[in-house]
Amino acid sequence: MHRIKKILLALLIIFIVIQFIQPVRNKSGQVLSTDFGKVYAVPGNVQAVLQNACYDCHSNNTMYPWYANIQPMAWVMARHIKNGKDNLNFSDFGSYTGRRQISKLKGIANQVKDDEMPISSYKLMHKNANLTTEEKSLIMDWMNKTADSLSTEN
Amino acid sequence: MKNIIIGFAIAATTLAACNNSNNDTANAKQTDIKNDTALATQQQVTKDTAGTQSTTATSEATFPVKEIITGYLQLKNALAKDNGQDAASAGNAIVATLAKVDMKGLSDVQMKSYMNIADDLKEHAEHIGANAGKIEHQREHFIMLSKDMADFVKTFGNGGQTLYKDFCPMANDGKGATWISEVKEIKNPYLGSKMPVCGSVKETIK
Repeated sequence: MHRIKKILLALLIIFIVIQFIQPVRNKSGQVLSTDFGKVYAVPGNVQAVLQNACYDCHSNNTMYPWYANIQPMAWVMARHIKNGKDNLNFSDFGSYTGRRQISKLKGIANQVKDDEMPISSYKLMHKNANLTTEEKSLIMDWMNKTADSLSTEN
Repeated sequence: MKNIIIGFAIAATTLAACNNSNNDTANAKQTDIKNDTALATQQQVTKDTAGTQSTTATSEATFPVKEIITGYLQLKNALAKDNGQDAASAGNAIVATLAKVDMKGLSDVQMKSYMNIADDLKEHAEHIGANAGKIEHQREHFIMLSKDMADFVKTFGNGGQTLYKDFCPMANDGKGATWISEVKEIKNPYLGSKMPVCGSVKETIK
């Protein structure tokens, strides 16, 4: 019994101490000229879905939930956000080559169609990210339409 | 009380360890960069000497048109056979080929075109390589990769073999998609065994 108490206390102390190791937050606060909304004329309803369901991991500005203050949650989040931004960053969309932008737009439509994105662990904690059928087709149609109009331009 | 002290001691060591490892990575990175530069200079020297020694070296030797096309055709054939595993290996092979491309022999226009195409090509090949178990996902990327390849062949030629540009109106959810093939007969990489002969030759690239 005495031993278990000791271990629990040690764990508690480690838990408290790791609270002081906070990863850097993904919150630049500024909108770059390469931002998705500046590169394309994005309709309000499309933008709203992207904001709610995608931007937390795919932009330079994450809306952090309360539990982001608790470790090791923030570490897991920081890793997800890094991966997310490496694959697609709406804040920096304008810096991709034209060809890649088209690919990304189609990729977004495909990921949404196949229910690959938003990922289920994210949907579990963010009810907004559970896209309705209407929201899905809104995103898919707009992404495909925009990609196709760019393809014919080139 | 003693426990608390021990706890803090553990925490302090962990913290210190964290900081150390950070420094290590920074150091390691620096050494990496140094090594890379050294290597790059070395390679350049060897290449230069090779260039002066044999005047018969074509641009093919430095710029692997044929190898990139071969990688693509392997991928195409794997998808036509519904083999996601082989498709993934072919995807990874394309990524490896692109990684060692030397653009020195290219003109400015070619280089610009290549960088634009390769940037996208690489990403699709990577995704195909990473999704061996999801052939439908691989095929989605293959649609865009094939478009890149068509433009690649347009700019850099067919690498010495006759190629065919095929089109299947049923692929891509009925929106249609193209692919490049080395054989005249149709072997559909989008529908595989479901509809192996769907499509037609739209263009012969000689």
